Amino acid sequence: MLTVGFREFKSLFSSIRSIVIIVVLFGVTIGSARLVRQFEAPLQELGLGNDAYAMGLMLLLILAAPLFVTSLSHNIVNKETDTRTIRFLATKTSRSNIILGKFIGSFLFWVVCIAVALLLIIPFSKSFSIVNLVQSIIFVSYFIGLTLFLSTIIPKPSLSMFLGIIISIALPVLGLWNAGTDNLFIKTVGYVTPYFYYMQEESNNYYAYFVAFFPILFILLSVFIFRKRDL
Amino acid sequence: MEALQTNQLTKTYGKKTVVDSVDLHIPQGSIFGFLGKNGAGKSTLINMVTGLIKPSSGSFEVLGQSGDRLESLQKEIGVLPDYSTFYEDLTAFSHLNYFQKLLKQSLSRQDILRVLTRVGLEDAVHVKVKKFSFGMKKKLGIAQSIIHQPKLLFLDEPTSGVDANAVLNIHSLIKEIAVQGTTIFLTSHNLNEVEKLCDEIAIMNKGSIQTQGTMQQLREQYQQVIIVHIHHRSLSEKEQTQLKNSLTELTADTQIAENTSEITVQSNELIPQVNKKFVQQDIGVFRLEVEEPSLEEIFLNLE
Repeated sequence: MLTVGFREFKSLFSSIRSIVIIVVLFGVTIGSARLVRQFEAPLQELGLGNDAYAMGLMLLLILAAPLFVTSLSHNIVNKETDTRTIRFLATKTSRSNIILGKFIGSFLFWVVCIAVALLLIIPFSKSFSIVNLVQSIIFVSYFIGLTLFLSTIIPKPSLSMFLGIIISIALPVLGLWNAGTDNLFIKTVGYVTPYFYYMQEESNNYYAYFVAFFPILFILLSVFIFRKRDL
Repeated sequence: MEALQTNQLTKTYGKKTVVDSVDLHIPQGSIFGFLGKNGAGKSTLINMVTGLIKPSSGSFEVLGQSGDRLESLQKEIGVLPDYSTFYEDLTAFSHLNYFQKLLKQSLSRQDILRVLTRVGLEDAVHVKVKKFSFGMKKKLGIAQSIIHQPKLLFLDEPTSGVDANAVLNIHSLIKEIAVQGTTIFLTSHNLNEVEKLCDEIAIMNKGSIQTQGTMQQLREQYQQVIIVHIHHRSLSEKEQTQLKNSLTELTADTQIAENTSEITVQSNELIPQVNKKFVQQDIGVFRLEVEEPSLEEIFLNLE
């Protein structure tokens, strides 16, 4: 499991797409922190304090994390089934280990990226928010799990990329729409997006942590399906 | 305990039955040859017993354990799949290092280099696979299948697309591995290869095992006629006619010539009687050769 995870982790860092995403992530984080510093006094009056520095990163993740994760990991499983390299893995380790390893590799990649992005803010905010780090990681892990699930059930990488992009655009729209509508359908769909829980966060700090159950569910479903699949 | 045993193993895709109620018994320590035309179901059968695809019905046992528990046997099984693609960004060494870690082995750098040298990839240890030829990929496929010294090795077309020298190297490697006690399950289109290497052979056709046995058993089973070439002293035309007449009751076809005759008989038991006819007529026989059917002929006769 860890061997698969480490390989996934390393390969994510070596692709051009990941380098572009890291540059964007770090660039926007530093840029927004610099911007926030210019409006430090008014933001302090609004009670945002040092949290405002991490807001740029959080906003970027909320809007772009689905797209970032999808573009990097849409083929996390089905690329291996498509090229048949999965046959080497599946004859050497369990299918559960393959799925868990894939998730761990992608998860660790994002943990490192988000942690480094938050570390880059320290010179501006003079503080490091563990809560922001954990909540950002949980938020991103929802999309890692979802991408893993899509890549398991969809055999063709091109199709999982297409569907991933559609979902990456639809989920934030539906999630944010959910906040300002009484439409039953949108409300219901909203419950399965992380946005609903993160928007409750102001009144209750613990809502965001419920989102962690979604990636667990996605992993369990992926393992269940992958174990039954012909490779 | 048998290395592999299948009981009514079947795989269907929709209405199409690709593997149909196959019963195989492969003894430990043997080199088992598996023959069949393209689409006969050989690779599907291998993929089922190596856990890559799920059987539609039937069961199998590998090294005495149920196929349902195959994941616990992965360290004991080596597999060269029929279609080998690798990670383009990894070198031959990195591949084997990755795979040995997946198998929870703790091989040293020297161990990995030894395996790569054994398959003839010593000059490509640190070359990325994207620069590999088809034959080199095949060699790497064989290397990954034997890196953990498995007890049961599945080789699906190990020599297809490989140059002649490499084929000989792979043959000697297969023999060497078998001597160490590994059971080898080999599929091939190369009938000479199977005939040369295998202790036992099964021929698959349209999803079913058509025949199974040792080369000798197959010969006996499918031999329709035996051709005996007899080199003898020079015969006059009169002697030739007399000999031909005396052999009529024993042979199906007789070609008598001045120095060599070709006698076709129905069974091995008739060969001494043919020889006796020569002796009775005082014809000195220098050499007698029995032409046995090759696996290729048996294979073609099955069609």
